[in-house]
Amino acid sequence: MSGVNVWTRSRERMKRFPELFAMCSAEAAVYGKCVVATTAGKQELKKDLCIKEFEALRTCFISAAKQGVK
Amino acid sequence: MNNIFSSRAVCGACLSQSVLRWVGIRAPQFGPPLRARARMHTGHGKLTGSGGFYCPKRPQRCLTPQRHVSGRHGGTMNVFDRSMKRRQKTWASRLPEHHEYDYLRDEVGGRVADRVYDVARTFPLALDVGCGKSHIAEHVSKDIVERLFLMDVSHGSLMRKKECEMPTQCVMADEEFLPFRENTFDLVVSSLSMHWINDLPAALRQIHGVLKPDGVFIGAMVGGETLYELRCSLQLAELEREGGFSPHISPYTAAADMGNLLGQAGFNMLTVDVDEVQVHYPGILDVLYDLQGMGESNCAWNRKCLLHRDTILAAAAIYREMYGNEDGSVPATFEILHMIGWKPHESQVKPAQRGSATASFGELSKISQPQTSNKTDKP
Repeated sequence: MSGVNVWTRSRERMKRFPELFAMCSAEAAVYGKCVVATTAGKQELKKDLCIKEFEALRTCFISAAKQGVK
Repeated sequence: MNNIFSSRAVCGACLSQSVLRWVGIRAPQFGPPLRARARMHTGHGKLTGSGGFYCPKRPQRCLTPQRHVSGRHGGTMNVFDRSMKRRQKTWASRLPEHHEYDYLRDEVGGRVADRVYDVARTFPLALDVGCGKSHIAEHVSKDIVERLFLMDVSHGSLMRKKECEMPTQCVMADEEFLPFRENTFDLVVSSLSMHWINDLPAALRQIHGVLKPDGVFIGAMVGGETLYELRCSLQLAELEREGGFSPHISPYTAAADMGNLLGQAGFNMLTVDVDEVQVHYPGILDVLYDLQGMGESNCAWNRKCLLHRDTILAAAAIYREMYGNEDGSVPATFEILHMIGWKPHESQVKPAQRGSATASFGELSKISQPQTSNKTDKP
């Protein structure tokens, strides 16, 4: 599979993941702490338990990606 | 070499292709039949079992007979898609930067070579099962191993094998169906490829078979708690984001079970020890890319082929939070099980006969009193 196709384009986009993730380390830490708290505490991990923190991380990530593209 | 398949290679298309299916090699859906290459893929003479007819147009998953590899009683495990593993290894070997992903295999290959040196013998004929690009042979000198056979499922890996001192011969075959006669090899080594074998007891029995009496099998296999950080991060992320999780890391053999497996296969004088190799990566995606570059992508039948981008983001955050180091890097643990087993031979030490003791444990206390030890008690 040579040339430029959807897989090469998506791989190029994924290569930006680490730098974008580094820009959102604060939100990532908050989300991580929320999930890790369930492993120690009494509350079991359910779907969307930490959705607020995840949405914050996601919006930070998307805005970082938009900044990079400009 | 035992090559019973060559006589079948000239039969009709369906028979040769169904035999090919039994040995675990998948003929391509498009393209020429594999009859021309058929002599390389041989069964071990245990081609029993019914199985249906192989039909090249049907997709892989809906052929139920294909999941039974051989007709052994009790059924065999079919966890991994061996043809997919072959394709993954070939793809990985064709990357332009494939040597960058060799660090783990080189390290473990060096440790296996150390264990080969520990055995004070010269091996005229040796076999490397699942050699990949041959990471053990480059550390071993010609005085220890005189002639080496390299065996792997992937043609691409064998083409890119590393240089070594002794003369080698490459064989493209599946580890579950060794195409060699019994009592051939003095030494069999295997490094980091046995964790993709479907029927590990049978593979160990075959290795036991091809070894000469008083031959030794020295292997290294990934096992136990390998990549537990990645596994836990993905589980928690999928649970939180999607409500459930599916296995992304393949199942491994525990260190305790390894001893039992080797004993059941007929090996003597077993040694199993566990080495932990921890590699630090910048982030979760680097772990995933490096595993893919090593050819270690998941090929279990029950794998989920899709990882949502939200899940990747969540897993990256959880990985860093749970296991991250101070400088932001994350560790990945590889637990390597090293095993040594000998094929029984009369010259090997055996347990003593019952009743042949010449001293009693009750006399242990008298060892510290040498003056009175002349009057020895009867046992």
